[in-house]
Amino acid sequence: MKNYGKLVNFEFNRVAKLFAVLMGITLILQIAGVFVEARDYLNMANEKIYEEMMPKAEFLETFGQMSFLQVIRSIWFLGPIGLCVAGVAFYIFLIWYRDWVGKNTFVYRLLMLPTSRLNIFFAKITTIMIMTLGFVAFQLILLPIEIVIFKGMVPVDFRNDMGLTELVGSMPELSIIIPGSFLEFILYYGAGLLAVSILFTGILFERSFKWKGIFAAVAYGAVAVVLFIAPLLLQEFVVDGFFYPIELFVLEIVIGLILLAASIWMSGFLLKKKITV
Amino acid sequence: MSFTAKKGEITCLIGINGVGKTTILNAIMALTPINKGQILIDGEPLKEKTFEKITFIPDAITMLPQMTVAEAMEFMNDFYTTWNQERATELLGFFRLNQTDRISSLSKGNTAKVNLLLGLALDVDYVLMDEPFSGIDMFSREEIANVFTSHLIENRGVIITTHEVGDIEHLIDKVVLLDDGIVTKEFDAEDARENEGKSVIDVMREVYVR
Repeated sequence: MKNYGKLVNFEFNRVAKLFAVLMGITLILQIAGVFVEARDYLNMANEKIYEEMMPKAEFLETFGQMSFLQVIRSIWFLGPIGLCVAGVAFYIFLIWYRDWVGKNTFVYRLLMLPTSRLNIFFAKITTIMIMTLGFVAFQLILLPIEIVIFKGMVPVDFRNDMGLTELVGSMPELSIIIPGSFLEFILYYGAGLLAVSILFTGILFERSFKWKGIFAAVAYGAVAVVLFIAPLLLQEFVVDGFFYPIELFVLEIVIGLILLAASIWMSGFLLKKKITV
Repeated sequence: MSFTAKKGEITCLIGINGVGKTTILNAIMALTPINKGQILIDGEPLKEKTFEKITFIPDAITMLPQMTVAEAMEFMNDFYTTWNQERATELLGFFRLNQTDRISSLSKGNTAKVNLLLGLALDVDYVLMDEPFSGIDMFSREEIANVFTSHLIENRGVIITTHEVGDIEHLIDKVVLLDDGIVTKEFDAEDARENEGKSVIDVMREVYVR
């Protein structure tokens, strides 16, 4: 347990720079986005009202008020989120492969630590979780700040104020990242954790058996996905709505937990018995 | 393939490149799977705690290049209860290494010395070394060879691999000659010298040039 904590600390420090850089990019681009989007709208309003002498009421009728949703829908806001998502997705692989590359193959050291090799797996998956939740938390801190800036720029008559929940709710992409309820949070992030654990197992298959391992990894992933969606397919095409939604839900959770346990067990086995430096 | 390495002895695995010397060391440390047979350390198969008893010094350093020597030692101290800081400090002085140097900035010879330091400063019974003399300058070789005759190695069981025996011939107790995954000969270096008047190289010549 103590070694697990030390390994998490160690693994997180290795990615801290990348993590900070991505947060910095998000901060700069999103706040720049608020300025750019608000300025565009205000410039247009100025042009219409002061240069073309369009009455304010007519302007608002024709072009509508500006809401923060316009900022959220812009590339300025979604781009950095996409970048962070891509960063985490990329690091899921890099967190393992970086230990094998180069002259200084650090994997020797990791595998020779006097601790259970599963701790390496747990430390790496925890690091991915910390990164993900860290980005989400950062976004949640950033959003209200951006809204304040937005309100400072666009006069009250020209804007349509929406609450944070309303904003997030009207963007399906965003409501996956920032779920509306605790249950949804557990579900989305549980599914994410499961997906990462399956990917990790796949990576360890590859690291253990090289080319043959890639086939094993793909087969393992495919079986996991089929098992996971089997109840939904069954419900839809075979038993035709036989399960109550709550039954289906519980079934999915149980299968998810079994798959998670299987991935952990398989990863432990590969790390202990089959891994090659 | 079967051989035994005893505590207090330096056992040298000799063979040309590609006969499986490194693989044997990797297999002992469970860094590569074995298809059959068994590897016992003090009569027991390897467990996680065995890594407090045996250490492996591969031919490349196993620390992150961006770490300083001090950070690398701290890392070892964090994870190994058998880390001996006193001995580490002694080795630092012995090799004239600078704690604040980054590993990536070290010369080949100094990298090899740090690598050796990280392994030898553990209070372990057994040390495995993969080609500790390959690709480094003559004076570094000498310094490293001096370690073998010092108290830093005494009473430990050492397995060392090499493809050029010249540098360490006078240091080794036991020789295991390998060819293509099998042990072609296992002999006591001292015995061969005293009783048969042959050097390790003489015996190798008999085995390989037939």
